[in-house]
Amino acid sequence: MKYWRETLAVAQRILIELLRRRRSLVFWSIFPISVLILNGFILAERAKLSMAEAFENAAPSTLVGAALFFSCLGGSVATVVAEREQQTLKRLFISPLSGTSYFLGIFVAHSCIGIGQTLLVYTVAAFWGAGFKGSLLLGGLIILLSIVSYVGVGFILGTQLARRTEDVNALVAAFGVPLLMLGGAFLPASLFPKTLLDIAKLNPIYHMNEALLGVSAGGDGLTKIASHFWFLAGFAVLMVGGGWLSYRRMLRVERRL
Amino acid sequence: MLRIEKLKKSYGKLPVLQDLTLHIAQGEIYGLLGPNGAGKTTTINIICNLLQADSGAIAINNQPVSEATKPLIGVAPQENLLYKTLTCEENLNFFARIYGLPAKERQKQVQACLAAVNLADRAKSPVETLSGGMQRRLNIAAALVHHPKLAILDEPTTGLDIEARYEVWELIRRLQNQGITILLTTHLLDEAERLCQRIGILKNGRILAEGSLAELRQLIPAQEIVVVQTKDEESAIARAKKNGFIHRRYGNDLAFWLPEHLELKEIISRFDGIPLDSIARQPVRLEHIYVEVTQA
Repeated sequence: MKYWRETLAVAQRILIELLRRRRSLVFWSIFPISVLILNGFILAERAKLSMAEAFENAAPSTLVGAALFFSCLGGSVATVVAEREQQTLKRLFISPLSGTSYFLGIFVAHSCIGIGQTLLVYTVAAFWGAGFKGSLLLGGLIILLSIVSYVGVGFILGTQLARRTEDVNALVAAFGVPLLMLGGAFLPASLFPKTLLDIAKLNPIYHMNEALLGVSAGGDGLTKIASHFWFLAGFAVLMVGGGWLSYRRMLRVERRL
Repeated sequence: MLRIEKLKKSYGKLPVLQDLTLHIAQGEIYGLLGPNGAGKTTTINIICNLLQADSGAIAINNQPVSEATKPLIGVAPQENLLYKTLTCEENLNFFARIYGLPAKERQKQVQACLAAVNLADRAKSPVETLSGGMQRRLNIAAALVHHPKLAILDEPTTGLDIEARYEVWELIRRLQNQGITILLTTHLLDEAERLCQRIGILKNGRILAEGSLAELRQLIPAQEIVVVQTKDEESAIARAKKNGFIHRRYGNDLAFWLPEHLELKEIISRFDGIPLDSIARQPVRLEHIYVEVTQA
């Protein structure tokens, strides 16, 4: 009960703050829509696909490879860094709020944002006739695991590497964009040369993309996407563990007034 | 309410607290004074269970400090630790939820706290639109929203103009009337003088002097202090010695301790022949005691 109450309080607070910054909200909506439209039209033209097929293929990579990356990973880092910059973390340290609730609160808030972006991306894709062919439950699970992974990585980066807002941009530029490209967010992984594809298989974004693409555009079940799904699940567990350890370390180092 | 016994804390080889002992009674306003680096913040960190002491005991309301004692404490740190884009009400509501106040009580308590800090009419205003004084009062309200038994106010009026300072002082007095025990740290000695029942002067991790203002005044064997301005300070000091006055410097001011109350005429006559530009009489204030204790 305590964890649930605290989790909801943290999540609600993050969402209210986001709603207050309407401009950010608008930009976070524009970003996936524009990437989706660009990806959709490029695929339709270059891969000679119908608009519906092109947008069915573009939607998963746009969602997990681009939209969720920036909102959930970038957003988590920004949340932790903003707390540190405005020093509200100190007030949380002196309160009985547990680290688990804090992590879960950030996760729940970014899940809400992620769900919003999912609806947005698939609604826009549906406008060009795209549909979701596979199991909604499995698709939802992949999206949820992607959000958990991103929030976990965001927690690690936010607590360990990023001290100021400028660091967030630098981190995203240094690690995020190459990982996104290698994950197939902007260019289908099927077009990668073999060496690059072998490297891409170590990139969790690649597995998020491939898993959701299989379920969403190909109608695949769990058996067919098993390798991607379990890689993603393992990565999510690892990142939650890493995030938790990072938070503990931050507490040891920074828990002072 | 708060009992600290022989607390020791070192950072590496540097001792920060050395056998620190202090007791604060229920409903008391206790002023903890000391120069920067005296150990005030370390003490607060240990009270809040953010730091572990090397040895010693510390209890709040007879409970040893732990995570379980966190709800007993409300801390208003020096900086306004508030969410700037949230409204006053949303900030307090968030902190009240973290402390587990049930919804109905939370609503009541948030409104009560806003009223207590005279911000009821700004409940829906985002924090970033408030003045510095208002933010400071909200910062204190955030420390009180969960009904703490002990409020720790760390430099609550630093950086505020005099009007805002009066408002915060008034608020602190109201809190005391509600039975809340207050540990106040401040560099503003007149603030401690006005508000605190007892004062402890901390230096190098030790309480060097402690007591009510009347008790602390006993540390200076003077009825009154005169501050003089003269071009011939050496002669003035020599004459003062002859008269049995102890001399001190408070910043650039040359001052003499008067062991007994003297009429102004009498004081001037004691410096007869020395060119005095001005002479001002002052009661023995906390500032004089503080300087005496910390520079001894």
